[in-house]
Amino acid sequence: MILQALTLTLRLAVLVSLILTAIGLPLAYWLAFSRWRWKFLVEALVSLPIVLPPTVLGFYVLVAIGPLSPLGRWYQALTGDSLAFTFRGLVIGSVFYSLPFAVQPMAASFSAVDRKLMDASAILGASPWLTFWRIVFPLSMAGVLTGIVLSFAHTLGEFGVVLMIGGNIPGKTRTVSILIYDQVQSLDYAAANRTALLLLVICFAILAALYGLRRNRRQTMWGWQ
Amino acid sequence: MGVAVSRLVPESAPELNVEIRKTLLDSTNHAANFLLDLQFIAPAGITVLFGASGSGKTTVLDCIAGLRKPDAGQITVGERALFDSKRNIDIETRHRRVGYLFQTLALFPHLTVRQNITYGLSTVDTAVRESRLLEIGGSFAIANLFERRPAEISGGERQRVALARALVTRPRVLLLDEPMSALDRVTKGQILDDLRRWNEAHAVPIVYVTHEREEVYALGNRVLVLEAGRLIADGTPHEVLSRPQKESVAQLAGFENILDCTVSSHHIDEGTMTCRVEATGIDIEVPLTRVSDGAPLRIGVRAGDILMATSQPQGLSARNVIAGTIVSLRQQDFTLIAEVECGTRFVVHLTPAAGRALELGPQKPVWLVIKTYSCHLLQ
Amino acid sequence: MKRLGKFLLVSLIAMALGHSAKAQQITVAAATDLKYALTEIVNQFQQRYGTKVALTFGASGNFFSQIQNGAPFDLFFSADEDFPKMLADLGMVDKSSLRTYAVGHLALWVPGTSLLDPIKLQMNLLTQPSVKRIAIANPQHAPYGRAAMAALEHYGLKDKVRDRLALGESVSQAAQFVQSGNAQAGLIAVSLAKSPVMSSSGKYWEVPGEAYPELKQAAGIVSRSMQKKAAQAFLDFVLSPEGGAVLKKYGLTPPTQQ
Repeated sequence: MILQALTLTLRLAVLVSLILTAIGLPLAYWLAFSRWRWKFLVEALVSLPIVLPPTVLGFYVLVAIGPLSPLGRWYQALTGDSLAFTFRGLVIGSVFYSLPFAVQPMAASFSAVDRKLMDASAILGASPWLTFWRIVFPLSMAGVLTGIVLSFAHTLGEFGVVLMIGGNIPGKTRTVSILIYDQVQSLDYAAANRTALLLLVICFAILAALYGLRRNRRQTMWGWQ
Repeated sequence: MGVAVSRLVPESAPELNVEIRKTLLDSTNHAANFLLDLQFIAPAGITVLFGASGSGKTTVLDCIAGLRKPDAGQITVGERALFDSKRNIDIETRHRRVGYLFQTLALFPHLTVRQNITYGLSTVDTAVRESRLLEIGGSFAIANLFERRPAEISGGERQRVALARALVTRPRVLLLDEPMSALDRVTKGQILDDLRRWNEAHAVPIVYVTHEREEVYALGNRVLVLEAGRLIADGTPHEVLSRPQKESVAQLAGFENILDCTVSSHHIDEGTMTCRVEATGIDIEVPLTRVSDGAPLRIGVRAGDILMATSQPQGLSARNVIAGTIVSLRQQDFTLIAEVECGTRFVVHLTPAAGRALELGPQKPVWLVIKTYSCHLLQ
Repeated sequence: MKRLGKFLLVSLIAMALGHSAKAQQITVAAATDLKYALTEIVNQFQQRYGTKVALTFGASGNFFSQIQNGAPFDLFFSADEDFPKMLADLGMVDKSSLRTYAVGHLALWVPGTSLLDPIKLQMNLLTQPSVKRIAIANPQHAPYGRAAMAALEHYGLKDKVRDRLALGESVSQAAQFVQSGNAQAGLIAVSLAKSPVMSSSGKYWEVPGEAYPELKQAAGIVSRSMQKKAAQAFLDFVLSPEGGAVLKKYGLTPPTQQ
């Protein structure tokens, strides 16, 4: 049971981190370099999941993807399955939940890149795309990695949102945090202890590995091609 | 442009034609907004753009490079328009073939010197890229630095690398923004040499921005003076700086003394005018100009053009002898700077030897001697 | 170090993108008072028939909302009759499958460390000065919570203890509150009080049936279920003599008895 929940949780965290990297990079780029006067509204929107209680977020995600919603109904028609209370629904909810944790560090490190370097790149003939990949991205690796690590860690520990939209279905939506909660509810403190400890050890190992990678990278950053 | 040297310079090298009108906003102080409004032609060779900070010099370069957009005007290189507000042309920076050396150099810190220099050559085939790299490495003496990173080389070396990076792409126009500001005299000299040599080998308009007088003299055949967004002078360095017409240029050109005067009388036969220095009883004789009696006037006198005497001089050719008292004396490098109170303050430059010989000190009464032709009329 | 990191990354991604094997199973939403009873029944059922049963315990009211919103459960065991009936009216549960499977009972439970004897003091225990917090299930979404409130009112204690109530999200959370010592007394399900953990760590007194409306507990098959046959098989097993025996062991009396 622990293994099932653990695998599920890790799968969720990895998938969400991948998705947030794909969505987060362009969003962070836009936030860092756009000069649209209403940009601050988007910034506030992106930060919303930080301040909203997870249950509120979960509730709105449920409303957005439940079988009564347009999105839910479209998905139902397409696949015959509901979106809520499924692993996919969890992924969607978690992407919203961890979005600011991915985007903010990335955007911060993009805007910290000296604009003059970007100007110099343009003057030497590089397109904005090339300027991003050859100059901006390598120089903000620390921030990008932080964003990925944070969204991963944040998703691992998710509880409120999962509770709201997951339904606690073993093998599908019973993440480790829910499992621990269940075990405590069953007064099986020994099991809860074991599960919690296992999650702690695994989280630590993953984070240590990721930070270790980052440390090496900084030292050899000047060798990055 | 100097001695004729055999080179492959086309007769009609493309000129840079710049016309810019742009409102510059000071984000903190609305009163400081001003209008950049200028027009000039820079032929092949070095054109120096001279002015104080805040005069808009960097904005001019940014507009030429396409980093900023004028509100109106046009920028062309030969036949090719880079910007034209009337025809709605605004070529992207990366297509302008402009070389630009920033004040901060903007070398890519995570790339080696080689990678920095070849950054702009990615569309060029490998053989050509290598040959150009070696050529510029040789002429700027940086070939031994190719595998190092910018953080690992000295300031002077960084400057050369940055210059090499800008030049290796064979730009049609070269822009330099105060490129020597952080360098010592010796290094400056070396780089100016490099630049001049390159300039002789390629026929490209070069716009060199600076606020240092020495660089103006060292480099340019042509100086444009920019003040508060407008060009107020255009000519050879000597013309512009030795006989400045405007006060701002005067201060830049080194007039330590600027006097507000009123014209009291003209002496047409003698070619002079008498002016009363405001709020004092001092009269000075200055060269004659077309100004009516009673009109206000500003006179600039260089501190190095003033003689000092400890007893009232007799039989001098100079028309202006003014009595005063030394207020302070201080030595800076090899110059003795004296402040003398005469009803108005004068700054006088002397040699330390003179100071010792005359036994100068504060409170000492002295006479200042100023030739008529050392008085420059400012507008 | 770098290679290890890359390997870790790749294996994590591979795992994430791989699908989990789909086992033939039914998913059952069950009220928390059934935690021990139903787990035992499921073990027997799985051994006998092989079909896997995945149990999810929670407050009946929460399951009502979730099933209403299309939660993919096959079977719903509520702690009351109202929730399943309402779902049937909404068309989310098959009306024909509705069955009352047991009657629940309320217990006043005190931790073993307490100096108070619930059997002697009965409901007066709740007004003792040392009882600073009383755990009950949230009446809003747990039938046992409603029963607890009804019992308090019956004994005229509702206003006296109102500010001392600690509401658990479900009756098992209420049990956890009092078992861990965070509350000094609790009104919980007898079926939980009879569990090995609870019975070895405290004592209880069964609240008389006339103090609260009878806790008739009903179950039904969810309309959207794709495993209705298997679900029916399990429901039948719970209702069978073997199932009834286990329920009785935990104080969940059959519906025909009083």
